[in-house]
Amino acid sequence: MMRQVTIQWMLLLLLSWSAFAYSEQSLTPYKGAQPAPDFELVDVDGDKHRLSDYRGKPLIINFWATWCPPCREEMPSMNRAWSKVKDDVSMLAINVGEDEDTIFIFSADYPIDFPVLLDRSGDVIREWPVKGLPTTFVLDREGNIRYMAVGAREWDDDALLEIVKGL
Amino acid sequence: MLSRKSCLNSVLIVFTLFPVLAMAAVIRSVDEQTALVSWKINEGDFELQLTQLLPDQTRAFFLARGFSKQIANSIATSCIMQIIGRNRAQQGMPGSIDVDLKLWRMLHNGMERPLKLKQQWDSEWPDDKVSDAARLAFRWATFPTRQNFSSGDFGWGMTSFGLVPGERFDLKVVWSAAGTRKDAWIRGIQCAEER
Repeated sequence: MMRQVTIQWMLLLLLSWSAFAYSEQSLTPYKGAQPAPDFELVDVDGDKHRLSDYRGKPLIINFWATWCPPCREEMPSMNRAWSKVKDDVSMLAINVGEDEDTIFIFSADYPIDFPVLLDRSGDVIREWPVKGLPTTFVLDREGNIRYMAVGAREWDDDALLEIVKGL
Repeated sequence: MLSRKSCLNSVLIVFTLFPVLAMAAVIRSVDEQTALVSWKINEGDFELQLTQLLPDQTRAFFLARGFSKQIANSIATSCIMQIIGRNRAQQGMPGSIDVDLKLWRMLHNGMERPLKLKQQWDSEWPDDKVSDAARLAFRWATFPTRQNFSSGDFGWGMTSFGLVPGERFDLKVVWSAAGTRKDAWIRGIQCAEER
């Protein structure tokens, strides 16, 4: 019963958010290309990922949660983006506060083919300039934050991905 | 899409607010499927939407995040609404929009008062009554107390107005656009009732 009400709640918020959604894509240049705060997190399979290991390719990092309507809205476009640029760009989704089982259930409806890391304690997101979910950062090959996006975007937009690939 | 259609079909009532207080118009709409009410302001590049949430839905959400029945109920019956804010400016256009909920005011029964923000909720919960995971979910599910929107940015989250279901109030929304402070009143907001 509670699960049903929760699903209804999420559906309501998603519909409400969709009515508000907006097709234009934009990335905000980040102030002064600052080095991103390093972290080490495990993914849903228990494998460790350190941010500094991703240098050498542009990197998209998305902070999200399964209960966040705009996060759910943009995740399919992130997965499509991954299939387009995985040879040239790395992608990480950092889930805030949830466990592997929750993400496993979510991924049945929203497949995610790139690594999903678990920030169970919220320690990592606290170190990043995030005010709300979803927030996404784009890092250059040297690990500097170059762009950020507050709220959902259509990440498989070719023009947007060209900007990322050029970093 | 359904909601967009239903919004278009729903009754739109445009209130022209007192020009001394604001130039913004408020659009009130009723979702024909859920019967929940939304209020929207568009002024310049700033767009803000406030939507009712049913107490039962809010209660279920926080129970699922690990809150006790008692605390989930206290949140759910405190007039929780969803806020979505957005900067509609085209990419590359100058001028960010800043929102600070500490500056917002609500008028209820002739008394003006601030909102009940996430920091106040968090401080009311004893350490042994609410888990860290539940606090984390509450923090990120609620609208940021301060948020900066660059062109194309969205922000969303729940906000508590601290009133019982069915109560009515007016809300003074305050924001800054390119450093200039602006405000607008939304009159006659009603907290969703229990169903």
